[in-house]
Parts: sequence; C-alpha cells; structure tokens
Amino acid sequence: MKTLIVIREQEYAWLRDMLPGVHPLLVPVCNKPFIEFFIDFSIFTGSKAIRIISDGLLGEVERYCENGSRWGVEISYGSMQPADELPTVIDKNRRFCLEERVLIIKGFLFIHYDKKRDYTTLFASLPSGELLSCCHGSITLTGTVKPESSSADIPFSLTALDTVGKYYSLCMEILRSELTNYVIPGYSSEADCYIGRNVVIPKSAEIKKPVIIGNNVQLLANTVIDTNSVIGNNVIVDRESIISGSIVMDNTYIGEHLEVKNKIAAGNLLIDPESGTSIVMEDPHLLTGMTQSRAAGTLLRRMVHALAATFMILVLLWPYLLLRPVLGLQGKWKRVRETYYNDLPGKTVTLTKTTIDSDEPLGQLAKTLSLDRFTLLFRVLSGKLALIGYHPVPINPALRIIPNNTTGYTPAVFSYAEAEDWPEIGIDTEIVEHYYAVHGNPLKDIAMTQKALFNRNH
Amino acid sequence: MNISEKTINNYKVLSLRGMLNASSAPALKTCVAGFPDEQSIVIDLENVDFLDSSGLGALVGIARKKKASKAIMKLARMNERVKKVFEITQAHTLFDIYDDVSAAADA
Amino acid sequence: MIFHLDTSTGQSVGIVTLKNRIDASNSSELQKVFTQWLQQASVFIFDCKELDFIDSSGLGAIVSCLRKALEQHGDLKLAALGPKVSMIFELTKAKKLFSIFSDATEALQSFSTVGTK
Repeated sequence: MKTLIVIREQEYAWLRDMLPGVHPLLVPVCNKPFIEFFIDFSIFTGSKAIRIISDGLLGEVERYCENGSRWGVEISYGSMQPADELPTVIDKNRRFCLEERVLIIKGFLFIHYDKKRDYTTLFASLPSGELLSCCHGSITLTGTVKPESSSADIPFSLTALDTVGKYYSLCMEILRSELTNYVIPGYSSEADCYIGRNVVIPKSAEIKKPVIIGNNVQLLANTVIDTNSVIGNNVIVDRESIISGSIVMDNTYIGEHLEVKNKIAAGNLLIDPESGTSIVMEDPHLLTGMTQSRAAGTLLRRMVHALAATFMILVLLWPYLLLRPVLGLQGKWKRVRETYYNDLPGKTVTLTKTTIDSDEPLGQLAKTLSLDRFTLLFRVLSGKLALIGYHPVPINPALRIIPNNTTGYTPAVFSYAEAEDWPEIGIDTEIVEHYYAVHGNPLKDIAMTQKALFNRNH
Repeated sequence: MNISEKTINNYKVLSLRGMLNASSAPALKTCVAGFPDEQSIVIDLENVDFLDSSGLGALVGIARKKKASKAIMKLARMNERVKKVFEITQAHTLFDIYDDVSAAADA
Repeated sequence: MIFHLDTSTGQSVGIVTLKNRIDASNSSELQKVFTQWLQQASVFIFDCKELDFIDSSGLGAIVSCLRKALEQHGDLKLAALGPKVSMIFELTKAKKLFSIFSDATEALQSFSTVGTK
C-alpha cells in the first residue's frame, strides 16, 4: 500500500497569506503540523511509502519530513503543473504507483479519522475508486479491485480547509471532542490536557480544560488559560492576561493585562477567524513574535570557524599592521560600509567592505594574504559571520525571496563560490553555495577556506 | 557526457549520462537540433551527475523551441542531485516531469 | 481630527471625527487639543469610521480623554469602530470602558433619550 498526496499551491495560498512565515502544509493543527496528520493516516492504512506532490515549493516540507525515517515510512517528493489533473499526476508517478493499491489524497483538506480503528484491514478490502469527495478534494483508491468488495461504510470524513474560519473551527472541534482520535504532541495524564516539555506554570496561573500547551512555554503570574485554547511552542504569556478559546501559534509573546478571546495570535499578527480580519500589531509590549535562535547543531560549526578565524588573525596580524597604514596613506585602501541580510530572519548586519588596489607589489602582497578580509575575521569571533559560507547579500527591497537560515544562507567572510572558483554572482553561485551549505561540515569548511584563500589569487 | 538515443512510440528518448554543464550543453542542443522541430522528446536524467545553470538553460531552451513547434518535451527520472538545482531555481514549474521513462513516452 | 459641535439633542455634544491613525506620533496632540474641546462641551462622540489603526499610545490617549470627560461629569462614546480598531480595543480590554455604537447618529440619539428623562 502506498499513499500519494496531491495538493495544488492555489489550494493553500490563502493560508500562506494569513500566516506568512510557515509553509501551509506545516501549519500546526492542535500543535501538530498539518502534514503529520496525513502521514499518520497513511501509516494507519498500511502504507509503506508516501509521496507528496505539489506545484508549489516543497523545500520547507522536505526539510521537515526528510525521508520519513522518523515515522518509519519512505517519504519522497514530486512536482506537478498547476493544470495537471489526477490521471496526469498518476501518470507522472507511474513507477511509484506500480504497487497493488495506492491511496490518493487530493486537495487541501483535513481527514477526520480515529487512531483506535484498524484501517489497514479495512483498506485492504475497500473497492477501488473514489471513496469520499468534497468540493475541495477527494480520497481515491487505485489498484486491483478485490472480489469481495462491497460498499462498506467509510469510517472517516473530510473537512475542506479554505478559510481561516474553517481552520479555527477545525482546531476547536478537535479540541472539544476528537483529541483522543489523533496522536497529539505533549504529555497527557488526562484525556483533554496535553502539556509539552519545559513549561513554566506559576501557582497563580489558572488553566481550564480542554487545553493543549506546547514546549518552552512560560506563563507568568495570574494568567488564565481558559477552555478551548491551544498554546504553541516558545510562547510567553505575560501577567494577568487571559487566553480564551484562542490559538496562540509558535514563537509568540502576549503582553500584560490582555484578553485574547476567540482569536488566533501568530507572532505580531492578531486574526479574528470569524471575520477573517487580521492586524499587524506594532506594539512589542502587546503582541510580538519571538526571534528564533540558531539551531544547536550549528554550535560546533561556529566554534570551529571561530578557532580557524583566531588562527588566521594571529598569522595575519603583523602583515596587516605593517601594510594597512602604508596602503592607507597611498590611497589604495578603500572601504565602504553596507548593510547585508543576516541569517536570522529579519536581522541585518553592517559590514565594511574593503578593496585594495593591487597594481603595485605592496598592494599585491596585501591582496594575496587576503588582508582586505582581515577586519571581517573579528566578526566571525563575535558570531555575526561565518568563516566560509554564502557571500553576504546586500539589502534589496525588490528581492522576492529574502535569504535567511531556513534556506541555508549564512553570510561569511569567504564564500564557497570563491573556493570553487565560480563567478561571484548569478545562479551558479547560488547553486554552489547551496550545495555546500547542505553537504558541508566544519572540517570541510576549513579545507574550503584554504581553497578560497588560494583561489583568490589566481 | 554521453547521450544515448532510442525511440519509444512517437518519442525520441535521450538518456544522458555524466555532467550536463557549460561544456556538454552544446552537445545536447546539437543532438536535439538534429531532429525535426515537431519531434517530441523525452530526456532521461537518471544518470546525470551534475547539472548547472548552463545545463538547465539548455533544457529550458529546448523546451521553449519544442513548445513553439507544438511538439512535446518531457523530463524523466530526476535524481537527488538534479532535484536540488531545480528546487533553487524553481524550474520544476517549467517542465512536465515523470518518474518513469515509459510513462513519459506514453501519451 | 475634525471637531464640530452638535446641539440637535438639546445639549452640546462634541463630535470628533478621527482619521487614519492615532499612534505615538499624534496621540499627545489628541490629548492636548481635547483639553481645549472640553471648554466647549463635556459630552463627546468619537466617530471612528475613518480610523484605520491605533496603537497602545493612541488607545491610552482615547482612554485619558474619557477620564477627563468623566471628571467634568460628562461622557465619551465611541461610534463606528472598524474591525481592526475593534480588535485592539478588545485585546486590551478597553472595550469594556466605553459605550460603543455602530454609527455617530445612533450615539447622538443615546444622548437625546437621556436628555428627555
């Protein structure tokens, strides 16, 4: 048994507008990313492999789900054209669908199922064809029709997700009556109360069930989490505030003495699901997003880079102290301050870009030793730059996709493109830098830095 | 880069092996130019080790020419290395991509 | 901000039309000019149909206007709150402090029924 999930970008575009910053397929429903419900359901039906197809970008989804080993299934990804109908999509994935039966989930919809039922046996006996459909999608089964097929009752149902109001009522519905049907993240000693790790709840706080609270949540004095609330991960609810019938998404700060009633709070966005109105809060002490810190895995990398940078500073210190004043006096040392994107979303870094005229021997020597990057090495020690990575991208309001660490962008003193001797701008640069950002490791970075130093002079 | 050619139904199937980059892209273009404009083709990428922007540019150029002559061009069997390039450049929206050569050469 | 006096209900009601935004850049201006208006009337209606956005300083200014009006044994009512502004009032619980009407005419009528008593 295999599962094919087909979702067109236009079907979830509305959610991207409502909640920017999260890929619509990863938007949490009761603190569980949407796509995980599909993965769970596929596993319950007995699928060994899942393929996710869309005409939109699936990079973030792929980074989250990887190859599916976390759930014990094989997950692969494919693309389609927006105009492709289901038969064409099946054709384009013929090798995948060469199995006996394929469960095809089409459309941005939610499947209500119950983990306590045995779907594997059921699906093995269901007839082929469209099992369920609604205006926004369908569930189909392909493959050879079993002889003992009869129109069995379908113990699951669909909800189309096309407005924020539907998303909200879906979350509330699950909270009120369906929590035990799904695998919900968090620890639960009672049926309708799930709490994650590292949650700080003072004595004065009041929590009423049903409630779901994520990881790293801080509730301050006298806060009230009233019934039917979902609190995501990395949330702070400040003193005296009341959350009632609301969904607080990840990385949100809720200020003091506030009342969030029947709303969705996502970072600095406050959304009223009934009317669809959404406001961008400008007051950081009312509602704001919390900046994500760098992942722990990069700590080793930063340490290695810092060590290498220290080494380089020590080696180049004397040449720098000797040559810099001389070249400065000769007017061959030019500096420009510019602001670039940093890897943390929304952050920028201002760097001094130095160019050395290398028409004379002194200038040539300075360039050979890469003295024009010397001052930037100190930024590596302070953690603002990496030693080797992407070339820093200057702030440009016309950019469609802003580089940040979700795409692997790490601004650095040297760039992988320099190391590989590629042209310094354009699509080829992006390809090289992206490849090494994904396939690199700290030791390889040292080798690449040496290569960059070497290549700059040829 | 190696180009092996075979015919399935009405399609010429070109299986590429090796690197599709600035030095080998012209060879692919010449090969395709050798067929009549209305000849539909399938390009099998399973054994492509490396694809850069000139390789991608060649594929885009071929796709455009075929579309203008009302012929069909499809890609088959993307591997992980090739996928990365398509993802960064968002080129997957430009092509019809199949995971099986015979499926591509069917319709 | 436009201010005009309305006497159709038998008492002087100050009707203020707020436009665009009340935020950190103009909230203190609102408070200052309100003290001047207080000399002409003690009952006010803030018509918010053209108000797009307020932040916490704007909210603070409007609440302080209410307090000043109440000190003069007057009142301040709100009319035609847009959905976004309404959400901010709800969030900060400021909604509970005010009588809110769907438009300025309704707000005016509420004063007249009080007058006839």
